[in-house]
Amino acid sequence: MHIAVCVKQVPDTANVRIDPETNTLMREGVESIINPYDEYALEQALRLRDSCGARVTALTMGPPQAAVILREAMARGADGAVLLSDRAFAGADTWATSYVIAQAIKKLKPKVDLVLFGKQAIDGDTAQVGPGVSEFLKYPLLTYARDLQVAADGRYTAETLMDDGVEVIEGELPAVITVVKESAAPRFAPLAGWMATRGGEIPSWGVKQLKAVPDLCGLQGSPTRVVKIFAPPVKSGGTRMDGRVQPAAAVEAIVTLLSRKGVVS
Amino acid sequence: MTRPSEPLQTDILCVGAGVASLSTALALLRAHKKSGGDRLAPRVVILEKSRAIGNHVLSGSVIDPSAFDGLLDEEEIRRLPYEASVTSEAFCFLLDARRSFSIPWVPKMMRAHGYPIGSLTKLTRYLAMLCEAQGAEIYCGFAAAEWIEDESGRITGVRTGPRGLDREAKPKSNFAPPEEIHARAVVLGEGACGHLTERLIDRCKLHARRPQSYALGIKEVIEMPDDPDRAGGILHTFGHPADTRTYGGGFIYHVSATQTMLGYAYGLDYSRPETDPHELFRRFKTHPAIARQIEGGKAVAYGAKVIPEGGLFSVPELATDGALIVGDGGGLLDSLRIKGIHMAMQSGRFAGEALAAAWLADDFSRDRLSAYGKALRASPVWTQLERVRNVRAPFSKHTVFGLAAAGAAWATRGALPWWMVRMEPDHAAMRPPRPGRALRTEATVETTPLNPDRLTDVFMSGTIHDEDQPCHLHILDRKTCEECIERFDAPCQRFCPAEVYRLEDGHIHIDFSNCLHCKTCQIKDPYANIEWTPPQGGDGPRYTRM
Repeated sequence: MHIAVCVKQVPDTANVRIDPETNTLMREGVESIINPYDEYALEQALRLRDSCGARVTALTMGPPQAAVILREAMARGADGAVLLSDRAFAGADTWATSYVIAQAIKKLKPKVDLVLFGKQAIDGDTAQVGPGVSEFLKYPLLTYARDLQVAADGRYTAETLMDDGVEVIEGELPAVITVVKESAAPRFAPLAGWMATRGGEIPSWGVKQLKAVPDLCGLQGSPTRVVKIFAPPVKSGGTRMDGRVQPAAAVEAIVTLLSRKGVVS
Repeated sequence: MTRPSEPLQTDILCVGAGVASLSTALALLRAHKKSGGDRLAPRVVILEKSRAIGNHVLSGSVIDPSAFDGLLDEEEIRRLPYEASVTSEAFCFLLDARRSFSIPWVPKMMRAHGYPIGSLTKLTRYLAMLCEAQGAEIYCGFAAAEWIEDESGRITGVRTGPRGLDREAKPKSNFAPPEEIHARAVVLGEGACGHLTERLIDRCKLHARRPQSYALGIKEVIEMPDDPDRAGGILHTFGHPADTRTYGGGFIYHVSATQTMLGYAYGLDYSRPETDPHELFRRFKTHPAIARQIEGGKAVAYGAKVIPEGGLFSVPELATDGALIVGDGGGLLDSLRIKGIHMAMQSGRFAGEALAAAWLADDFSRDRLSAYGKALRASPVWTQLERVRNVRAPFSKHTVFGLAAAGAAWATRGALPWWMVRMEPDHAAMRPPRPGRALRTEATVETTPLNPDRLTDVFMSGTIHDEDQPCHLHILDRKTCEECIERFDAPCQRFCPAEVYRLEDGHIHIDFSNCLHCKTCQIKDPYANIEWTPPQGGDGPRYTRM
């Protein structure tokens, strides 16, 4: 079985602020991390590899410095990685991104049976690239999975998290599956893993290697446009209860307030 | 999933990716290139406990450019990530909460005209990049929990801390066991009051003549309205709000048109248990001489760390069999100017050169490695340490003595006073309050975006710890803790700049996830009853522009 895990490098949103005047992201002091949901997808892939044997390949599309998250994936145990990087990919929306990733998955050898994504990336929050790739690949799509088992005959059982409960779904590979964080905690990359990934080259594929149609990539392949970015208005007011001096009184006040508003009875 | 693993191997292992370690690696690899002949270059591995390089470093910082001597070439110095250099400097004595007195000239020993100013995080990242280009390997998210030694007591490597333990120290599903990495030599560049460094000094009897004395440094980055004329201005203060027996001072560095660094350092040999350094920091900011400098600004980042101020008499032996101590961990800091970056980098340079020679000789014994200490003693670093060796200690008696000692040292180029002025360890300096005296001082400074409260500051440090892990701060004896509450009203709740310690129902609760890894608690607890150990690798503050 060959599993492709798609990961994305994102700004650490815990630190992101928007400049109130220009409405652009203030990048000063903001670090790049592996999208947290993708860590859960990678963990599912590595668990399948550990339990039933598989090859795990990590993929990302981004500038050359995004390779660092591929190294992290390999340090955790991925068998290989491919960076999808080309100037022609710049400015891609979810459609053009899905196209490029699907092209790369088609090119991977042996044939990819399972493609895993985090349920969404924390920067754009669209949750569209996983489904987009499934369309381009014509692979069935399953979203919000928290647990995944694959039998020897290629049939899988997945638990997916719905608003009102859990669905248990059986299906047959190939498939594209997106993973939620209510699944197994991601493993730590051991020092031995980091030291082993050092030095090895990570292949980088561009338009040429992918035999991609340039018109479908990057900004020109993107049917959507970002017209405006703005920060939601800052919420004003609010009541602050200081629980440090008299916690019991603060709790009392909160309960009174909530019951008066009908939130609790 | 938890396969027992073979020990990992390297040639030189550095603990901590701060400027001292990085300078060591850089100097070693470059010295080897120059004189190593055909011999293969040593493999250099650097372990860093923070999640990303530079996340746990903190300084003002104005850098004495002698830092770069023999380490960086002209082109590399030109590319240093600084936006400004010092164009105007002032020195100010704060008489009380309102009045101040500007010293008409800055004493020559303190002058910093033309020195680069900016963020230590950026400098650290720059050095890391240069090291990696030379082939050094830096791995973040790994805390060195213990060292490994052979039967003869030689240091042969370190063991990383476990990850994925729950609060009862039971393995979670993603448990990652400790890993061993062996090396010919271990360089300890952990920073002030280092976890392994302090223990190694005890174990190998490397003690200095006098125990180390520390100050707690608290810093904020202030975002300012755009004004290019401001960049390059620096101001140092002493006096208010410190009392006359405590070495306390502040700084304001306008590092760019829109960014100002503001900090306050307070000697941890203070005696009053009611002292709250963070509150003093906030009071400092409201002084008109300071408030004027940061008008219209907003605090955007926060951090704290301890500064080793003991000076020459508190510098331990810096080498033992298989190990070296560099930078702040070795107490290498000019305690008059409170400048340590240049000494850290220069100590790294000499350590690196000594290691290169040791590598060629295939000998990492204490005798061979002591070439590092010899080179350091023959360098300007040592001259500076000698010159100000007795400046810090008299400040513990009274500011007047301190100023007199500083003056005498300046006038005689360090010849006076010639003896070693004694200092007691910081924790022993705490005195019980006089009977009837109120212990708690209420916060008197108004909370604003420019002067946030302590918890807001902690939030801005970005510190984060997985809360489902064993507490990394150990109260060694709960009985002693109760006695301390009784006698001193638990000073930990005040000296901690991150509100880690909380007195509730007569017991101390530890909110360890606030911890900034500053070590103040280990240093200042009056009974030395708190032990700081490294938490899960990758946890801790996330300084990005300190």
